[in-house]
Amino acid sequence: MEEKKRKIGVYICHCGGNISDHVDVEEVRRRIEKEYGVTVAKTSMFTCSDASQTEMMKDIQEQGLDGMVVASCSPKLHLTTFRNMSTRAGLNPFQYVQVNIREQCSWAHSDDHEGATCKAANLVGAGIEKALRQEALQPIRVTSVKKVLVIGAGIAGLRAAIELADLGVEVFVVEREASGGGQVAALGEMFPAGKVGSELAASLLAEARRRPNVTLFLNAELAEKSGHIGEFELAIRVRPPGAAEETVRIQVGAILVATGFAEYEPKPGEYAFGQPGVVTLSQFEKLLQEGDGRLLHQGREVRTVAFIYCVGSRQCGEGEDLNRWCSRYCCSAACHQAVLAARKFPGVRSYHFYRDMRTYGKFETIYEEAGKAGAVFLRFHEERPPRVERDGDSLRVVVQDLLTGGDEVAVAADLVVLVTGMTARPNDALTRVLKLPLGADRFYNEIHPKLRPVETVIDGVYIAGACQGPKNAGESVVSSLSAVAKAAALLIKGYVDLQPFVAYVQADTCTWCGKCQPACPYGAIEKVAYGDKEVARVVDVLCKGCGACLPPCPVDATQLKGYTDGQVEAMIDVLAREAEHER
Amino acid sequence: MDYDVMVVGAGIAGMEAAVSLGDMGYRVLLVEKEPSIGGKMILLSKVFPTLDCASCISTPKMALSASHANIDLRVFSEVREVRRDGAGGFRVRVARKPAFVDFAKCTGCQDCEKACTVTVPDEYNENLVSRRVAHIAFPQAVPKKAVLDRAGTSPCTAACPAGIKANGYISLIRQGEFARAFQLVLDDAPLVGTLGRACYAPCQRECTREEIGDAPHIRHLKRFVADWYYERHPEPEYGPPEKKLDKRVAIIGSGPAGLSAAYFLARRGYPVTVFEAGPEPGGMLRSSLPDYRLPKDVVDRDIHNVTALGVEVRVNARVDSLAGLREQRFDAVLAAIGTPKPKKLLVPGEDLAGVVSGIEFLAEVLCGQKLDLAGRRVAVIGGGNVAIDAARTALRLGAAKVVLQYRRSRAEMPASPEELAAAEAEGVELALLSNPVAFEGEAGRLQRVRSVRMKPAEAGADGRRRTVPVPGSESAAEFDLAVVAIGLSAEAAALRRELPLARDGSIQADPRTLQADRPWLFAAGDAVTGPAMIVQAMGLGKRAAFYMDRWLRGEALDRVEFEPRLPVVDKKEVLARQTEYPARSVTKGERHPQERIKDFDEVELPFRPDEAVASAANCLNCGICSECQECKRVCPADAIDFDQRERVDEYAVRSVVVATGFRLFPAELMETFGYGKYPNVITAMQMDRLVAPTRPYNYVLRPGDGKAPANIAYVFCTGSRDRTKNNPICSRVCCMYSLKQAQLLLGALPVADITIYNIDIRAFGKGYDEFFEQTRAMGVRFVKGKVARVSEAGNGNLKVRYEDIDAGGTVQEAEHDLVVLSVGIVAHDECRGLFADAELQLDETLFVAQPGKQVDPARTSIPGVFSAGTATGPLDIPDSILSAGAAAAQTAAYIERMKRKP
Repeated sequence: MEEKKRKIGVYICHCGGNISDHVDVEEVRRRIEKEYGVTVAKTSMFTCSDASQTEMMKDIQEQGLDGMVVASCSPKLHLTTFRNMSTRAGLNPFQYVQVNIREQCSWAHSDDHEGATCKAANLVGAGIEKALRQEALQPIRVTSVKKVLVIGAGIAGLRAAIELADLGVEVFVVEREASGGGQVAALGEMFPAGKVGSELAASLLAEARRRPNVTLFLNAELAEKSGHIGEFELAIRVRPPGAAEETVRIQVGAILVATGFAEYEPKPGEYAFGQPGVVTLSQFEKLLQEGDGRLLHQGREVRTVAFIYCVGSRQCGEGEDLNRWCSRYCCSAACHQAVLAARKFPGVRSYHFYRDMRTYGKFETIYEEAGKAGAVFLRFHEERPPRVERDGDSLRVVVQDLLTGGDEVAVAADLVVLVTGMTARPNDALTRVLKLPLGADRFYNEIHPKLRPVETVIDGVYIAGACQGPKNAGESVVSSLSAVAKAAALLIKGYVDLQPFVAYVQADTCTWCGKCQPACPYGAIEKVAYGDKEVARVVDVLCKGCGACLPPCPVDATQLKGYTDGQVEAMIDVLAREAEHER
Repeated sequence: MDYDVMVVGAGIAGMEAAVSLGDMGYRVLLVEKEPSIGGKMILLSKVFPTLDCASCISTPKMALSASHANIDLRVFSEVREVRRDGAGGFRVRVARKPAFVDFAKCTGCQDCEKACTVTVPDEYNENLVSRRVAHIAFPQAVPKKAVLDRAGTSPCTAACPAGIKANGYISLIRQGEFARAFQLVLDDAPLVGTLGRACYAPCQRECTREEIGDAPHIRHLKRFVADWYYERHPEPEYGPPEKKLDKRVAIIGSGPAGLSAAYFLARRGYPVTVFEAGPEPGGMLRSSLPDYRLPKDVVDRDIHNVTALGVEVRVNARVDSLAGLREQRFDAVLAAIGTPKPKKLLVPGEDLAGVVSGIEFLAEVLCGQKLDLAGRRVAVIGGGNVAIDAARTALRLGAAKVVLQYRRSRAEMPASPEELAAAEAEGVELALLSNPVAFEGEAGRLQRVRSVRMKPAEAGADGRRRTVPVPGSESAAEFDLAVVAIGLSAEAAALRRELPLARDGSIQADPRTLQADRPWLFAAGDAVTGPAMIVQAMGLGKRAAFYMDRWLRGEALDRVEFEPRLPVVDKKEVLARQTEYPARSVTKGERHPQERIKDFDEVELPFRPDEAVASAANCLNCGICSECQECKRVCPADAIDFDQRERVDEYAVRSVVVATGFRLFPAELMETFGYGKYPNVITAMQMDRLVAPTRPYNYVLRPGDGKAPANIAYVFCTGSRDRTKNNPICSRVCCMYSLKQAQLLLGALPVADITIYNIDIRAFGKGYDEFFEQTRAMGVRFVKGKVARVSEAGNGNLKVRYEDIDAGGTVQEAEHDLVVLSVGIVAHDECRGLFADAELQLDETLFVAQPGKQVDPARTSIPGVFSAGTATGPLDIPDSILSAGAAAAQTAAYIERMKRKP
């Protein structure tokens, strides 16, 4: 087994009673204290307390421990705590092993104290075996280039670029369209601040251009990506109209995706879409901007507007491709437009056919304002949506209005506005290049909406704005600035430490059968020459330590640091021996 | 510059902002007013729409905030002021509130919590259960440090001249910890039995509960524990202290002051010798307090508490010279010589046989001389306690008539009202506004007392109403004995020539340190103050011991406060804490007056243990912490520090992030929903606690009767979207948290019916509407319509009156067994007054205004001050976290721009 006798410290936590109410912590200590290699075995009311950590550090230093096991809660909580403690005490932090006897023993088996105690002792025993075979590891440190690529020059992308530039980061912005500003650039007065979209976009563009460390590529797309967090190698394809296509190669430390959304396009015939007098929310927005004194549509004056809500959102029924999500911004946007219409064109009446009025938070006041401006609200049941009927030249919206006792109401309208929601923007090429995961709604998926809302499973690639999910302009900016904070933290430090629990290939054993390579979801396995043969090699910085390459290897040449066959087998031996013993 | 940024508030947004800024390499000061970081989120059960455990999401962030190399965390601290420093940054003042626990020593073991004797509503469990006063906020608290809630010093404790922690021992008695209660008194005063009987109990007069009735009988409780303890321990459980100091102390006088000083000095390890002129120690306790009030075996046992420490009491040892003591190599001397000399009326006939002073009379009786007053008429002159003791003693000696003659009216009588009432009940007659002008007798023996009637005159210099004789009102009455008890003064003794005396004969000493004109000479007790209460003399003895010890150790006496206390709690504030004051009336028993005057046995009957506990249980814990010292006793780390006080630190920071969060809408403001009136109407935050992993009960139950609810109603928009409650906006989170709770409840109570009364379901975030549909599919009933009123239906159930829009807008009524109010989020004005020289603008809903809304979300009206999270308005957790990230980015960019400025 191991060459020199290892010295392992074991601490078992009461967690104040969270553990010790159901697990006999002292008994666990008694059972494992004689285990091979165990030098210190103690219990503690709270291993995470400052006092306990101080005691552990003292033990590590005075007893010369080279392995540490704390049996307490989930590693989610305190793995980092004890790794940091180990580092402070001079122990390699990766020689620390956390055993979870709270969630896995006391909480799970609160009805069986004896069983919980046995299981805890076995898990601690397995942890000791793991620690005995754990070598010191060094984090994989990669340097980071203090440059960022922002994809998309809409409000989110531009705002991020400006902030990153002010933080001393060099920024490249690629925009697929010929002009920057995104969808906001087409807007008139926006809610809630009353700013004019086109002016807002223009001022952001000017701010970005004013900064020497911002480079804006229009008519451009990200074509290739290689490398890894901290050091991505990118190819930008620029296609200036009337000029030759050119490819720019840049190196960045992080990528911020802010590609925005696409407005839902109603299917032909959906609420009479395609017929004269039926428009989408954005088309109506343009009419509002254009109208001068009179609200006109196709040359005819509009006196009555019917808004039909949730078009392309909250779709219900059977089917894979339904837009089940709520598009978040449209209720407020429609109310806002009704207010604008009433203000700009006094005499224009609006009728709103809605399901739930989702003017959340402070946007409630827009709803209120619309009501005060004369808007009439009619509520429909999702199974009985309004019908748009044509009556000669004019349109009529018929609905069973829940607010007036379910009576059928018909509203004659000069214009029907379909309150169209947000959908994911088709970006297949980019998605492929970045290997970004999509949610069921086809928007880009964050790792976790609360823990890591702007990060993706691809380290160093961040998402911001409406490409992650429906957001209004202000919310898009909030999320993009949040991504700025994450990217900046990564780049300002100058390096990235990755966990060393990655796969490696024992080159002597490997015969390059090629089976591991397709098993790797991250493209981290490459073929290299080794002496006179070809073998597999793991690119540390790409490997996520998922272990997918281990089972296909016919000769067990691939191993996972921290979970070597030797470690896992020894752990299983303990658990199996104990199970046998208990029987 | 101490910090690049100060983040105010360590809820989820504050933590996120701090960690983001710390990760970017900025030095962060993170200030949290609660004892733990984590904000409201850590108190939640699970969080929508992923149904992650709130703890699982919060705790790693909490641990990181606390351990981050770039973050200095100040919990239980409040920002008091932020002022611009003129150079683009800010000066901030941060107050650390006293936790009365040394966080550096506290290990979070919670032993104090288990030992604490006072419970209060647990705000971390939305007051559904109680918690201890010494507590750790909640199980996942970071840092895991205990905090003591102290509102101040309880009025009873503050009133005690000896610093006896009345609230503390009452609290211990309530717990049935009689021995500990005794020990707590003993820690402040050795003569526990004496005080339990003969103290005039200033504590009782100050008791807040006296204002509403059923006040605990404080002194009698002390007697109870003394009796209880002495019965089990005829001798003290301790001997002389192990620590022996070589400085010797002499104490002149063995009354309460001398004994108290001897006790505290001996406990510190000083060899103490007490010189008593009389034949037995105890001073006035022994010579002038009648047995029916204070049996002498109690005094004996009390004195053992002092002598067990090795204190040597030399009786019949009158000290005539301080120099003599110094020659005997005493390093310090305490003069506690009392006021044993009776004052005289200075009227003719005062030297007749049959005219005696009060204390002479009492001393004679007390030292066992048989006096038979059967059939005699006794006049007692005076209105103080000695006079009353003399009168009641005379009755017990068989006197046929005892008249207490006092020159002023009843209101001016200095005697304790309790004593006076007892005397009257026993048959003592009062002759008020009457003063002797001569004692007349034959053959040198008293026969008559000639008196004059008095009438009130204007107040004298001392503020007391004076009286003047009524001309021509003289009359004489036959008396066999006249006892003159009109006051005491210092004795003319040889020793006094060496003492610094004031004009009234009292010894002059520094009122704070009790040090006299020579540094080694201290004075305490009545000799300094004039005749006063026993407990006051004992307090002075303790005070003298404290300063004598310091002087003997060569430490300065100035700048050190003796027994520093928190300010007294305001009684009004105490009475405002509760709406009801349940009590068990306990009457202190007494022997019948006609019975008790037949002997000298004690008048008061002792409490039974159950009476003692019941009387103690009526205590209101005015100070919140009772100062029972149990936490201090059990703390293995010696971390409890009652002397901790607020400390204000000042820092220079470049920027500030306001992440002060929100306040839940106070549900009681919706009068028609019955919150606070009907026990089974709860808030959604309470429901979140009921289903949280650290929930107060192990089941979901309704508070009214503990029944598992089977038919639960949710009332949406409680306090939101409601201009009548000044909150026109939507709170963003209530729809979703209620849906989440509905899902969790269907797991906990699979057969329960859940009805959600709503106006709109605002499931607008990523994955939210899908979550709503899922909830619907699980069988939760949604009723569109606003609830008008909730009323009680009997058996604790509730009738909900609502408009059913889907059913044609008809008004309906439904019965539920639990109603949950989905309360909204409102602003609190905590951050408003922080800024000394700039205005932090608020919006119309009183949240922090965002003047740069669309593109500068974190900007506030003050350059360099940014906002994060719900300080700016209602946000759900994901949006709070994003806003905190944005605040971090904007703050960082601001700092960089400031750094680049020349």
